[in-house]
Amino acid sequence: MTQSTTAYQKPIPLKDIDNAPYWDAADQHQLALQKCDDCNAYSQPPGPTCAKCGSENVSWEQFGDDITATVYSYVVSYRPFLPGFQDELPTIIALAQLDKVPEVKIMGNILNCQEKDLEIGMPIQMTWVDITEDRALPQWIPATN
Amino acid sequence: MRTIKDRYAIVGVGESERSRKSGTTPLHLALDAANAAIKDAGLKATDIDGFMNYNEGDSCTSHQLATYLGVRPKYVKDIQGGGASTEMLIADAVALIEAGQLNTVLIYRSMNGSSGTRVGRGYDPDMLQGALAGGSFVIPYGSASPSQWFGMYATRHMHETGITKEHLGHVCLSFYEHAQRNPKAFLHGKPLTMENYLATPDISSPFNIHDSCLELDEGNAIIVTSAEKAEDCTSKPVYIMGMAARQCHPHAHYWNDIDHVASDYVAKELYENAGVTPDDIDVASIYDCFSWVVMRQLEAYGFAKRGEVGEFVAEGNLKIGGKLPTNTAGGMLSEGYTHGMNNAIEIVRQLRHDYDGTARQVEDCKIGICTGWAGPDIAGAMILRN
Ligand SMILES: [Zn+2]
Repeated sequence: MTQSTTAYQKPIPLKDIDNAPYWDAADQHQLALQKCDDCNAYSQPPGPTCAKCGSENVSWEQFGDDITATVYSYVVSYRPFLPGFQDELPTIIALAQLDKVPEVKIMGNILNCQEKDLEIGMPIQMTWVDITEDRALPQWIPATN
Repeated sequence: MRTIKDRYAIVGVGESERSRKSGTTPLHLALDAANAAIKDAGLKATDIDGFMNYNEGDSCTSHQLATYLGVRPKYVKDIQGGGASTEMLIADAVALIEAGQLNTVLIYRSMNGSSGTRVGRGYDPDMLQGALAGGSFVIPYGSASPSQWFGMYATRHMHETGITKEHLGHVCLSFYEHAQRNPKAFLHGKPLTMENYLATPDISSPFNIHDSCLELDEGNAIIVTSAEKAEDCTSKPVYIMGMAARQCHPHAHYWNDIDHVASDYVAKELYENAGVTPDDIDVASIYDCFSWVVMRQLEAYGFAKRGEVGEFVAEGNLKIGGKLPTNTAGGMLSEGYTHGMNNAIEIVRQLRHDYDGTARQVEDCKIGICTGWAGPDIAGAMILRN
């Protein structure tokens, strides 16, 4: 876990009526995913109804804080395209495929990772970075074991 | 329903000067492009009764353009759009002519894409979090440029199909080689070697500056009319055999499933409508905002099998003289950039044999394809013939 020391310059996820449970859970260093009670599909990102079948019967499933995944894809950016990234180049942006729910892919940065070690399929672990007093951002680090 | 096959034609094409700094407005560039297309068709401005444009809030309106051409049109239409909008607006124009609403339609794209708004530099972060589906799951991680959005698809696809950085280089080298034959290409006089390509650092992997389209100030225009009305034009008509488009993905947040692109779904319908197969295509304009986007579409539109696209481009098949001469004016990687319209103009010129007797002409070409890609979620394409 990393504590920010200076004012956070990067964009902060905007909560809205549909995604708030995801980000509220993240603020508590937890992962929650929206799931359809009718077709059982996970909706990631979450929405007003199930993205697969349109059902309004959606609920939230808690996954806790031990979230493992593998790298499904990635890009390495050498230029900042948004404020706050200029001091952390290159930036690794990855799509993580959850071990427990492989159909769900979650975007994030892989922290503490050398570009040369980065590859599709590599095991990663979710971590949470406290970015303001009351907000935390889900991120990824290489799995240690 | 009656098929539209061969019953509509592109009868005029034209462009403004292209530069890094036009020193003028998109309206002036649009006027230059429109006048060039009108002259090319042998029409008067007042023969045109419909005007359409696509933009990203960075252009003039169709009403403005018509006004300053001295035309009082029956119909104007300005859409938010980019890649694939050329093909989609041509379909709209055909539909309105078929419905008896209009006779002849001018479609244009005009932008100060270099000195004004620059797409490649990213967009306003707060706007994007709201504008992109699931934007708050993307923007906080620093992903705000199409190179990063499509790059996520590219890395996975390249991993699965064996496409290498060098293969991407062959796409760039092929189009740059075409630009050397086109004095109006922005990168005319700036050839590219594989050594230079591979030595160029990535901006955002897997793309370096050569893999990425130009950003320029430029206006382009295309005139569409019925096959009957085309007889009155002085240009050689290029007939529309078939069109198809798709504006969706399995999820509006397209990173939800990076294994699909809209082009995959367009191809089948396109060939059915046109009544041809990939083997019948003599010349191509494949949307090239990034080199890999060409590779992915070569697979989608059936020009090479999945897993064999790298080899296909490495064999030189995209070059004039290859199996599928593609982006023969240099494409958006090296000629100019109007979100695809310059590529559509080039396919028309090839099919008219405007370059006969020069190294730029694809010999004996009769049928061409033009594809558009706004992203993994939006594709449009058309097949044309002379
Ligand atoms: Zn459902």
